[in-house]
Amino acid sequence: MVKQVPYELVVCIKQVPDPRFISRIRINPETKTIIREGVPAVINPLDKHALEEALRIREQHGGRVTVVSMGPLQAEDACKEALAMGADRAVLITDRRLAGSDTLATALALSKAIRRIGGFDLVLCGAETVDGSTGQVPPQLAEFLGVPHVTRVFSLALKGREAEAKAALEYGYRRVLLRLPAVVSVIREINEPRIPSVSGILRAHQIPVEKWTIEDIGLSEDEAGIKGSPTIVSDVYEIEVRRKREVFQGPPEEAARWLFERIVSVLGG
Amino acid sequence: MELWVYAEQRRGKLVSASLELLGLARGIADKARWALSSVLLGHNVEVLCKELIAHGADRVYLVEHPLLELYQCEPYSRILAKLASEAKPEAILFPHTAVGSDLAPRVAAKLRTGLSAHVVNIELDERRLLRQIVPGFGGSIMAVVLCPERRPQMATIMPGVARKPKPDWSRRGEVIRVEEEVSEEELRARTLELVEEPPEEKPLEEADIVVAGGWGLRSREGFRIVEELAEALSAAVGGTRPALDEGWIKPHQMIGHSGKTIRPKLYIAIGISGEMHHTVGILDSGVIVAVNNDPSAPIFEVCDYGVVGDAFEVIPRLTSMLRELRGAQLKQEP
Amino acid sequence: MEFTFTSKQEMLRKAAREFAEREVAPRVQEMDETGEVPMDLVKKMFDLGFGGLLIPQEYGGSGMGHVARMIVIEEISRISPPLGFTLQIVHLGQAPVIYFGSEEQKRKWLPELAKGALIASSAVTEPTGGSDVLGIQTTARKEGDEWVISGRKCFITNAHFSNIHGVLAKTGDREFSYFMVEADRPGVKLGRKEDKFGLRGCVTGEIAFDEVRVPEENLVGSPGKGLRVALASISNVGRPGVAAVALGILRRCLEEAAKYAKERKLYGKPISDLQAIQWKLTDIYMDYQTSWLLVYYAAWLRDQNIRVDAENAMCKLWATEAAVRAAKLLTEVFGAYGVLREYVPQRLLRDAQVLIPSAGTSDIMRVVMARKALEFSP
Repeated sequence: MVKQVPYELVVCIKQVPDPRFISRIRINPETKTIIREGVPAVINPLDKHALEEALRIREQHGGRVTVVSMGPLQAEDACKEALAMGADRAVLITDRRLAGSDTLATALALSKAIRRIGGFDLVLCGAETVDGSTGQVPPQLAEFLGVPHVTRVFSLALKGREAEAKAALEYGYRRVLLRLPAVVSVIREINEPRIPSVSGILRAHQIPVEKWTIEDIGLSEDEAGIKGSPTIVSDVYEIEVRRKREVFQGPPEEAARWLFERIVSVLGG
Repeated sequence: MELWVYAEQRRGKLVSASLELLGLARGIADKARWALSSVLLGHNVEVLCKELIAHGADRVYLVEHPLLELYQCEPYSRILAKLASEAKPEAILFPHTAVGSDLAPRVAAKLRTGLSAHVVNIELDERRLLRQIVPGFGGSIMAVVLCPERRPQMATIMPGVARKPKPDWSRRGEVIRVEEEVSEEELRARTLELVEEPPEEKPLEEADIVVAGGWGLRSREGFRIVEELAEALSAAVGGTRPALDEGWIKPHQMIGHSGKTIRPKLYIAIGISGEMHHTVGILDSGVIVAVNNDPSAPIFEVCDYGVVGDAFEVIPRLTSMLRELRGAQLKQEP
Repeated sequence: MEFTFTSKQEMLRKAAREFAEREVAPRVQEMDETGEVPMDLVKKMFDLGFGGLLIPQEYGGSGMGHVARMIVIEEISRISPPLGFTLQIVHLGQAPVIYFGSEEQKRKWLPELAKGALIASSAVTEPTGGSDVLGIQTTARKEGDEWVISGRKCFITNAHFSNIHGVLAKTGDREFSYFMVEADRPGVKLGRKEDKFGLRGCVTGEIAFDEVRVPEENLVGSPGKGLRVALASISNVGRPGVAAVALGILRRCLEEAAKYAKERKLYGKPISDLQAIQWKLTDIYMDYQTSWLLVYYAAWLRDQNIRVDAENAMCKLWATEAAVRAAKLLTEVFGAYGVLREYVPQRLLRDAQVLIPSAGTSDIMRVVMARKALEFSP
């Protein structure tokens, strides 16, 4: 008999452009902003792995899964999908004043929302998003919540107030002993996210997605959006993949050397 | 005014990316006329200070403690933030490694300052601001990030962006020992051990480098040059339909319309003519290299670097150059 | 008029698509080669709730309805028409109980049918009657409070893994009754499995009943009114289901044609620049769009509880013939590669053709529609 230790689980999700259609993304040359029209939006793939892990923990140990997201109103679809996968509650922090938030401002807003939700044992996030892919929010979130963090987790085992995590390194991994409450970010290898079932979809339409403003979470205007972001994006441009088509014809030794230099340069030394 | 580089060490050896970063930082420091310092945390790592100085650091802040032997997110970030708020460097650069990207954000949050991630290019502008160029949306968009007001400006830099500088062992520099208390209680996310594993055989779609062979290789024996080059690059092996039909590759290695679509960082096509049924599977690759003895082969239309020549002459030479380089690198890497 | 799907329906489409692309796609080749039904995928479909779409919530299903059902079958068939067909027959087997079952029968069988613990076949066709359903010869005679059923059924899909069979049997002169017959009753014998040239991966075959005894409770609907039970189920569930499989094939044809045309270069440019190829694409597009409209319109009408036998027949005739046309065009877009087994077009063509005689031939569809067509004069 597995002893039931119910856990309060929070999962941070973000609605992002569908990575399969990323080549359709264009930049508005005047405003230097991203044009997302025509590109379907999905839950950031790694966030689904984070949610799946939370659902498994709830299945194994008991507890509650709350999903938190920060974004424009249309991010409600992502929250609904999370509810359909099985989350118990969904909170969307949505407020025009949050536009332009960098990772610091985002992490601060999320931390305030999570505090408003109440006590938690574990916050799970995807290791990075498909748009910014900085991976910075989970450690910053942990700092603002005053708890430890581990990023790039692919194996997580909870035992009471502790967890053992395996976190990926370049060639291998590190074993980490985590004291809860904590923040973890997960990578793809950790699990296979479930597909929402019909009953999940019906349930999701009975649970309203709560919408919070910056006042609801206790964030000041100065801490929000561009005002609260130490970094700014001063320029954005598209990269067009045009093949170089540089062709070399000559003695084999020189040809090999010519290739060698270019290959080494591509691989970064 | 200082520019700091975080020196990542693993098992008492400096990670290559940290040394590359010093090379990059040296250029910025010289231009801005800042001093270049490195911050090193660990246990019994004093011997590494000389190496940091030889690679360009003017000063090394050394923090040693038994509990700091392995990377520990809370004491490491606390100590770095403390040192930074005392010494007030202009900027701190980290390598974008697993550790660097775990550590830097927490430090930035403690200092309430800006951090950009996986920077691929960084320059100083006229205002002494670091222009940090980062890829977004899977690399199809580039953004220029600035941290105009808060200090220090922080960034994690992609490994491979800079070249490791040639060490000058005659260089002199300063080592500042910093004593710090670290308690067991602080290690709430405690790294217990590092487990190193050789890179697994990844499926073709996940490999960073793929070497593929086609009809031009003529035989199983001929196909070996593909396998040897792949081995030297720790790359995955792929091939075209003819290679599959001849039994040189297995079905899961076939690339093309009725096979796999791949997008590795580097794709090398050997003895492959490059008709559409194959090339449709590689068009999103980072860099495409081709070797074929037919100058009119369509593969040359879709490649970045192509060699018209006899693969059996060119590839083995290339392979031995790469093997030599790897041998030299292994002596340095942890 | 509103041509949008509800939020629930959109989420359902996404879930079905994800299931199809992630779980089903890797098995398609093996299904076509071996002809075997992937029972683990059948189970997964039930686990996701795809089996209970027509069963009301009070009986353990989701009651999402006909439009929802079309969506799921279309999405699965876009990747695997045989698996889509297997699912649609699962629903057909449930229909007699859903629409004609007594309260006891519904409470007894529907929850199990929704979960997949019970899977029912629909055993109507015989060598002596498919189109000519009145020509069937399986009989059921009353002995005490039991019915004794004897006969042979053929071309029955899912029979080989169903654990209960819905059997139409003659109980008098031009009188038929519909019975649910548990597969483990003595005298129930599975026969040969047919070797179809398309829709491989869904199993169709023979089943014989040799003096099989079933209790009175297993009679569905009124005695002697079995023909209506069978035909109404085929009309409202079977035919639209076939049409939805065809719709999935049509969708796939359009996607594959567009993709190939943009990639294949001839005369120095993609063949999508050539009008001849463009016209093939537009024809596939028109066939897809018209089929889509007919399929979802009929489904919407059914969800309003309007009787639409003609519309059901129309969407089946149109979509299946369109699917064959589109698959043939797709094969031509691929040129010589279109006839190779390792490329998709030939499989879609083979799958589409097998839909033509399913749930009634195009001629029978016309017979059904004729009645309605004649009503258009005052």
